[in-house]
Amino acid sequence: MNQAKIEKLVSRLRYNVGSKPRKLKNVDGPEGRLRKIKKTLTAVIKYERIELNYARADETRGYVERLISEALRHGPEHGETMELANFWIKEKQLVHKLFKVLVPRYQNYTTSFTKLHNAPCIYPGYAYKRAILELKGNIYPTVEQSNPHQHNLLHNILLDAARKEYRMEKYKEIAANMNF
Amino acid sequence: MTMVSRLWCRKARQNLAFAKVLGKEPKTFSTLVQLKTDEATDNNNDSQAQTNDELIKSPSLGNYRLVYPEFLPDPNPLYRNSIREKLERMDMLNRRSVLSIPEFYVGSILAVTYSDPHAVGKINKFVGICILREGCGLRSSFLLRNVVNGEGVEVRYDLYDPAIQNIDCLRLEKRLDDELLYLRDAPLEYSTFPFDMEIEAKISESVPVNDIKIPLNPLPWSQRWERLNLKGVKEIVVNERRQKKAAALAKPWEKYDLMKTYRETIPEEEQNEIFSDVYTKLNELEIQKNILKRKYMLQRQNSSKTRTS
Amino acid sequence: MQVFNRFKSTCITLVNDFKWFYTLVPMNDDFSISYLLISNEWLTRYLNDFSLIKPLIDKGQIVKVYVLRQTYNQAKEKRNLLFEEEKKRQRTAVGRIEKIEVKYQSPVEEVTLIMNKCISTPMDCAKHISEGVSKVSAIAMVDGSPWDMNRPLSSNCELKLLNLLSPENKVVNTAFWRTCSFILGAVVDTAFKEDVTVHLHSFPVPVIKSGSFIYDVYLDLDDWKPTDQEMRALSAQYVKLINKELPIERIEISERLALDMFQDNPIKMTQIPDIAKIGDYIDISKGPMVGNSSLIGRCTIAAVHKIPEKESLYRFQGVALPKGIILNQYAYGLLENRARKFNNTTWSVFSEENNEVEDVKVFGRN
Repeated sequence: MNQAKIEKLVSRLRYNVGSKPRKLKNVDGPEGRLRKIKKTLTAVIKYERIELNYARADETRGYVERLISEALRHGPEHGETMELANFWIKEKQLVHKLFKVLVPRYQNYTTSFTKLHNAPCIYPGYAYKRAILELKGNIYPTVEQSNPHQHNLLHNILLDAARKEYRMEKYKEIAANMNF
Repeated sequence: MTMVSRLWCRKARQNLAFAKVLGKEPKTFSTLVQLKTDEATDNNNDSQAQTNDELIKSPSLGNYRLVYPEFLPDPNPLYRNSIREKLERMDMLNRRSVLSIPEFYVGSILAVTYSDPHAVGKINKFVGICILREGCGLRSSFLLRNVVNGEGVEVRYDLYDPAIQNIDCLRLEKRLDDELLYLRDAPLEYSTFPFDMEIEAKISESVPVNDIKIPLNPLPWSQRWERLNLKGVKEIVVNERRQKKAAALAKPWEKYDLMKTYRETIPEEEQNEIFSDVYTKLNELEIQKNILKRKYMLQRQNSSKTRTS
Repeated sequence: MQVFNRFKSTCITLVNDFKWFYTLVPMNDDFSISYLLISNEWLTRYLNDFSLIKPLIDKGQIVKVYVLRQTYNQAKEKRNLLFEEEKKRQRTAVGRIEKIEVKYQSPVEEVTLIMNKCISTPMDCAKHISEGVSKVSAIAMVDGSPWDMNRPLSSNCELKLLNLLSPENKVVNTAFWRTCSFILGAVVDTAFKEDVTVHLHSFPVPVIKSGSFIYDVYLDLDDWKPTDQEMRALSAQYVKLINKELPIERIEISERLALDMFQDNPIKMTQIPDIAKIGDYIDISKGPMVGNSSLIGRCTIAAVHKIPEKESLYRFQGVALPKGIILNQYAYGLLENRARKFNNTTWSVFSEENNEVEDVKVFGRN
């Protein structure tokens, strides 16, 4: 059992963080891994929605969330955070975007800042699972497709009716108890 | 390890009188030097102390994470178990209500009184510099180092060991590094502390940082210190091959690895949950401890006055 | 009353119409058993007006009213035979095969299919489109009106296939509920032992919001309260029938033929619209049904209630979900509990007088 490192305080991330980091196979080892993530992270901040392999998307998601939460926590005046932003974001104008656009956008969020969707594997497909990674609150139409006939589904009709009946019973009970 | 060290301690106790007769020059050498540097660093590090103070004030539950690091669980989700953690916290508080465990850091000098059935008077006191704190919960421990009879001795104590009778923090200070294991390869005078050392009065509100730089012995070493990026060591001299190797193995990107730092720590929200759980009890204990400390200091002052008069 | 008099004298009377008969078993003081063979007409009168028989039961003269199994099976066989014959007749009546154009509107594209007039069904069209579509389609919309999956198309039309997982139209759900009732009838019909007389009464208009699909059945059991185990056995029978993945066929027949088919069942005689068939079970239906029993997923026969004011008329109630809808155990438990309550919402709709009105309406439509 190891002691937790305590010198840095971090905010909790609001998504399920995997217990182990992925290696993201590459010739340069851990350094190359960060280089790959740096590329993807910059792209996510630039385009706000990208499609890529699932493993890399999931791995990058944590870094994006952490970077935004650090920016939210300390702001642009904090030297260390600025250094982090400079390291992770490869295009300088996007550093401005991080502090001037994303930080105000996520100021009052109580959920995660990013969303990860499973993307379809279109035949004949590629060996790896695909995913869509996006920043929340972007301008694009939503990825999720909800069933427009949801209220017509049989179980929904049944549950609705059951709820109504339950309420009516409750009302009757209340009315019966209101005897003066 | 503890057994061996216990033997050493016994010898040390037997030889203590001998050492006292010999005089204090060799034993107190390091402490004297440190005292001077201490004062110097206190002045130099005023700014640092201020930042420390800010750090202490900014989090909602004070500096508890620094003072009570063992209350935070292992961040590895494989070992997490909220019920066990809670039970352990309760046990730790119970132990702390019986034994007053002082605030201490790596680099502080501690005196531990340990019950030992084989020792004379069945107790055994060891004084040394804390060079390592590790583990969490009831398993947390610290490593003390001192020199006895010209030989380095290290004793590992479990913080919540029921056989511990008393723990005193003789000098409360921090060093520049998180671990001082390099003292094993440093001249002995840097890890020599007198066994009859007394508790020093607290000078400032924040914990002083002793920025002493320690020279290392010539090779061979127990570890490749040149690879560890140590701050509290005077320039390390190794041959070119080892320098190259160290440079190749350096990981300058690691400080940017946001998820690595996240996975190694407990997030602030969770820390607050944990410490608000134990806050009231810890606070009570701290007040009691302070009262005792003040009494002890008053007694000492009175006795010194009477001695001088 | 004529019959009763004969009956009291415990003589054996053979009635002219000897094809399908019932037996009343009175028990005399000397324990000799007498039989009364009567025609359907008379039994119809008995069962429709139970008060005629009741005094006999009270006196202990009639112990049981039951259908001889043999005759029952014969009735079933005959009914099936008639059904097949009628189907064949309708098929041959088509004559020369003509082609029709069916425009199928899929979510992606519009497809035009050339099909056989009065032979090809929407199911055939679905099979041309894809296996998946043919498996999930529950009901077809032909020019905007609901159409059974297994009913031949009669002219050029625009076809739309509805499934239960994205019900654009509530017709699908109603058809599903009706099918559930229909299959419940098939289960109840075969579930009892030979010595229990079972007369399927009817299944009323499907009302989904009432929380359960129902089937009313005459059982000659006094105050039967089924145990949990019996209910579970019934549900198991239901699931077994569903798992056979039987197609549900529906044909329109003349009133005369229908009367002929349901000659053995005094109650069904009075309510004859369309005829539907699953496996070897044939029943009367008042509207379209889903194409295959495999479309039913999770199901429970929740309760059997005796209908007050009606002697020996029991109401079987159940709840089912389409295949593919996954509901958690708790929510489904709520639905089950609701289905256990006596379902009286359709009772007023389905009194004796309304029954006929209903029939007339359906006749008018077809």
